[in-house]
Amino acid sequence: MNPIFTPSLHSQRHQFVVDFVRKNKPNKVADLGCGECRLLKRLKFQRNIELLVGLDIDGAKVKKNMQGLAPLSTDYLQPTYDQLHIDLYQGSVTQRDARLRGFDLVTNIELIEHLTLPDLELFSSVVFGYMRPASVIVSTPNSEFNKLLPGLTGFRHSDHKFEWNRSEFRSWAFKVCLDYGYEAEFTGVGEATQEQQESVGFCSQIGVFQRLNVLPNRDEEEVFSYTLVYSVNYPTLRDNNTLLRVLVSEVLYWAEQMKNRWMEETTGGTNGVLPHSQTEQQEQSACTERLDCPGEGEESTESLWTKDLEESGTLSRFVVVPLAALWSFCPKISELSGNLSNLRRLLMDQPQVKLSQDGSALLLRCEEQEPEQTDGDEEEDEEDASAIQCSHQTEPEEDWEANI
Amino acid sequence: MTGRARARSRGRARGQDTAAPGAVSFTSFSKYTLHCCLLLASRPSLISTGFQQVKLGERGGRRRDFHDTGVYTRQAMEHVKESKTGTTGATIKLTANYFRILSRPQWILYQYHVDFKPAMESRRLRSALLFQHSEVLGTARNFDGALLFLPHRLHSKETVLYSETRNKEKVLITVTLTNELPPTSPVCIQFYNLIFRRILRVLNMQQIGRNYYNPNEPHEIRQHKLTIWPGYSTTILNYESSIMMCTDVSHKVLRSETVLDLMINLRQQCGRERYTDICAKELIGQIVLTKYNNKTYRVDDIAWDHTPNNTFTRGDTEISFKNYYKNQYGLDIHDVNQVLLVSHVKKMGPAGAPPPGPAMLVPELCYLTGLTDKMRNDFTIMKELSTHTRLNPDQRERQLNRFITSIHKNADAQSEMSKWGLSFDEKLLNLTGRVLGGERIFQGPRSYDYNPQSADWSREMRGIPVISAPPLDNWLLFHSRRNSNEAQSLLQTLHKVSGPIGIRMQRPIIIEFEDNQLSLLKALQHNVGQQTQMVVVVLPNSNKDKYDSIKKYLCLDCPTPSQCVVARTLSRPQALMTVATKIALQMACKMGGELWSVEIPLKQLMIVGIDCYHDTSAGKRSIGALVASLNPTMSRWYSKCVLQHKGQEIMDGLKMALTGALKDYLKFNNCLPSRIIVYRDGVGDGQLQSVVNYEVAQMMDSIKSLGEDYEPKLSVVVVKKRISSRFFTMIGDKFTNPPPGTVIDTEVTRPEWYDFYIVSQSVRSGSVSPTHYNVVYDTSGLKPDHMQRLTYKLCHMYYNWQGIIRVPAPCQYGHKLAFLVGQSIHKQPNVKLDDYLFYL
Repeated sequence: MNPIFTPSLHSQRHQFVVDFVRKNKPNKVADLGCGECRLLKRLKFQRNIELLVGLDIDGAKVKKNMQGLAPLSTDYLQPTYDQLHIDLYQGSVTQRDARLRGFDLVTNIELIEHLTLPDLELFSSVVFGYMRPASVIVSTPNSEFNKLLPGLTGFRHSDHKFEWNRSEFRSWAFKVCLDYGYEAEFTGVGEATQEQQESVGFCSQIGVFQRLNVLPNRDEEEVFSYTLVYSVNYPTLRDNNTLLRVLVSEVLYWAEQMKNRWMEETTGGTNGVLPHSQTEQQEQSACTERLDCPGEGEESTESLWTKDLEESGTLSRFVVVPLAALWSFCPKISELSGNLSNLRRLLMDQPQVKLSQDGSALLLRCEEQEPEQTDGDEEEDEEDASAIQCSHQTEPEEDWEANI
Repeated sequence: MTGRARARSRGRARGQDTAAPGAVSFTSFSKYTLHCCLLLASRPSLISTGFQQVKLGERGGRRRDFHDTGVYTRQAMEHVKESKTGTTGATIKLTANYFRILSRPQWILYQYHVDFKPAMESRRLRSALLFQHSEVLGTARNFDGALLFLPHRLHSKETVLYSETRNKEKVLITVTLTNELPPTSPVCIQFYNLIFRRILRVLNMQQIGRNYYNPNEPHEIRQHKLTIWPGYSTTILNYESSIMMCTDVSHKVLRSETVLDLMINLRQQCGRERYTDICAKELIGQIVLTKYNNKTYRVDDIAWDHTPNNTFTRGDTEISFKNYYKNQYGLDIHDVNQVLLVSHVKKMGPAGAPPPGPAMLVPELCYLTGLTDKMRNDFTIMKELSTHTRLNPDQRERQLNRFITSIHKNADAQSEMSKWGLSFDEKLLNLTGRVLGGERIFQGPRSYDYNPQSADWSREMRGIPVISAPPLDNWLLFHSRRNSNEAQSLLQTLHKVSGPIGIRMQRPIIIEFEDNQLSLLKALQHNVGQQTQMVVVVLPNSNKDKYDSIKKYLCLDCPTPSQCVVARTLSRPQALMTVATKIALQMACKMGGELWSVEIPLKQLMIVGIDCYHDTSAGKRSIGALVASLNPTMSRWYSKCVLQHKGQEIMDGLKMALTGALKDYLKFNNCLPSRIIVYRDGVGDGQLQSVVNYEVAQMMDSIKSLGEDYEPKLSVVVVKKRISSRFFTMIGDKFTNPPPGTVIDTEVTRPEWYDFYIVSQSVRSGSVSPTHYNVVYDTSGLKPDHMQRLTYKLCHMYYNWQGIIRVPAPCQYGHKLAFLVGQSIHKQPNVKLDDYLFYL
């Protein structure tokens, strides 16, 4: 639309909000008039935001674009402690909804000029009087700039109800501040040339409002006038199930790594079979020494050992990986679990994890590599199965050749 | 995809049409549809040529045609014009993983051309202007910037609308009806696929590559940091008698570690020296997902001289990768010394602009997907994987039904469908197939039948002498010191089992080697001579380097058949008999022995199998292998392998190989074959056209080179193993796999092809996957029934498996050869080995 700006004007507006968010680190952010959700798509990458809400009157438009706010495939792979919840509503900024109260930041990008003046009154009372977020960002066209836009007559968009100059915007803003206890600062994006900047100002003017005082929450009736169209939770380590899932994955992965490394060292070959006598010996000494004092202050040892346990009637061999060794070997595990006893506690009820009797070590089944061919049942019977033999039979022979 | 095919599909990309909305591409399309309608009137089974002229995509998307639509091969084959179905075999009731798409009777998609005056540059703006007229157009509409599709007819052929831009500029929009598309028209088919993709997104599925996956129900293999997402592959196409959606359960393997994690791990494991090599080997060719978008990238290279501190130009400013990701996505890059990955993005830039350079990726922000070769070779990983991914027919059928039910139950999905007047059948497709009878296996004067269910005759063939086996008089057995026990027991058992199966074996010379690569090679050089018939090596472990050096030496420098055995396979006494029997048989056929045969009622026939191996690591070089039969019993084969040079077609090299095969046939039989049937395996999705246009001509050239008057009958059959079609049959109240020999040649085949499916193998777990055969060229005049049965017979002839396999034997031989060369030898094997199955 306005190729005179690079980057384009709308992305400059969005960048303004992003910069604001990065500086002020709000946790709860709502974008009113979110439309194609483009600002939300940028904001969802801002890690400090925990609740992101979009509101637009055009539910169909939101529905069309909401999929872009879903977590990325990779968000599921390595969840972090960051948490994010996104809700999208269909509804009007002239109506109240309790779910939008208590936000840190509410943005209104190129929104107010689409409202009639009576609606603008309602908007002010809803946003500044009812939602009462700590900060509000309002952007709107600066009509003084219009003369610099080539070929423009009238408003910039056919749906605009008004386009204000700088002083009109300011006087509206001051009235809002006075009525609802905010203070405002003015800036904008889309600069004219040096010499004109002074006389026309920014192409989009922006008001940043800060709440002056926190009013006690008046006991108002809870109103829910918006319709929820989309709601999504991002995976996070703060969710206990996710944390456990990730922790168990890490534990099993690193234990397996340690086991493999140790087995390689002991046997000297990748696929070798563990020499039995040697491990037996080691087990004796290692068991008595280490099993009873796991961790605390002690230099963690990386040495593992094997142990034979009876399991549903059959004797299986396990490699023992002390939790203490694991805890100090893998920083991610120590980070996730905090301390060793917590790690033990967390792993205790996990069906995928097999712990030793006293819970101080992990038991990993020592699998004898199976042969590549799994030759079913035929190993035992060595006598030659008598094949059904007969002479070449004489079926009425078909002639394949003559079919042209 | 070969360079040529890629160039071709790129040439057809839809982007060019949209870039210049107007006359050129448009008229060509209208011409085609006219043609199409004429054809439709006279012969409903044939939908015309020129499929790819118009491509629909998501906004701005340019798609390749993975379904090989627009390849019309059947019409050129007189003998299958009326019918391409076979006749033999007992009928069987089957259920297939297809759903019919139902539309209103007389459903038509209306195609309009939209013209803007004055012309509008931006497509976004064009859409916005057009959609100001929702009251005229309705809500169901699809507009790509030039073409508008509506499910209903506008009042007049030409509709004039007025819109206004934000700048109050008046725009005159003319919407002209240019086409009425019947449901089977190619554009409509693309259209259905588009709508269906929208529906999958409505169901919260994540797109990765071509398929959609559900991230909310992951399976995890924790020991290896693997995450498996269940999902579906779907294709809507015009099948033999109706438009259907073929849908299969698919699984995506993701790894919960970043590329950087892996690189650090590799560095620790292999040390500085070999790091770059190993890292490149491990990473190049891998597909990665990023932390900031849902796109997949293929790693094509590693930029060892780039780090996140390097800059690139964005707009007109320079910005470092580190700052870019911080600004744009709030992502911190912790390791600023990591090197970057390079991905050559195939997509073209905006029309007219130069194509974008390669994408640089930061390892810390990338996750790997899929399995590496190393993982594929890891028995425990694969076993674990299969417990999650391998579904038996009953589970598969249930999951597919659940999928379709979830679509039927989802209100948004339903409204999207009904808006366009479409719906899905609620049940899987039922159809009838035929089960071909079992073949009789001949071994010299004796013959036997096998159990048709297990499709295996290892038991039946015990104690019956093979057709022929060269006596083994002069052979060597190598073993390392610690494996002398295994070597001894192998030797003893070999002597015990070889007699009854008709293989005469003298005692070998036994040589002990130090367990390292160099001394093993020295031992080979020292001992293997001209007279040596066979070399057997007992290896202490499955170390690839050692194996490679043996194969290299014995396939290139000193052409001798060889057999490697890992000691561990010999360590279980109860399996020793079976193992030794297999080894004895394998040794015999490597030296030119013939094990068994089936009856093949065609004379002077040469069967050719072609397969390729794509080496992703070593500069993406492909290897093609051609294997051709030399005798009437299909028990002797000529094998040739070619290494493809950059930008060269596989067939350029195989042309020579085919000539070589014909000359060898002449030597063996004193005549040239009067009939040649080529089974071409290894054709990728979307490559069919190039096989039909290019390869067939090359084959004919090659045949011509033996004499102008030599005109054998030629059939070319494209063999496809990786397909998503699945068939089930009901036994009792449970779905099971159809028995080996099941042929399907109706309903799910394509009207424009002479194609059929055969389920030839039997599987012990999971669902069997049928093989698709597409006869693209055929002057043999062979009845479809005979073509099907011949194909099935050939699946019995693979000597490394005493049973029926998935593809005709020469394809599997070709695969084996190409694999050996691609993995171990990297050069063309010595010509002296051409007449032997030395690569088994």
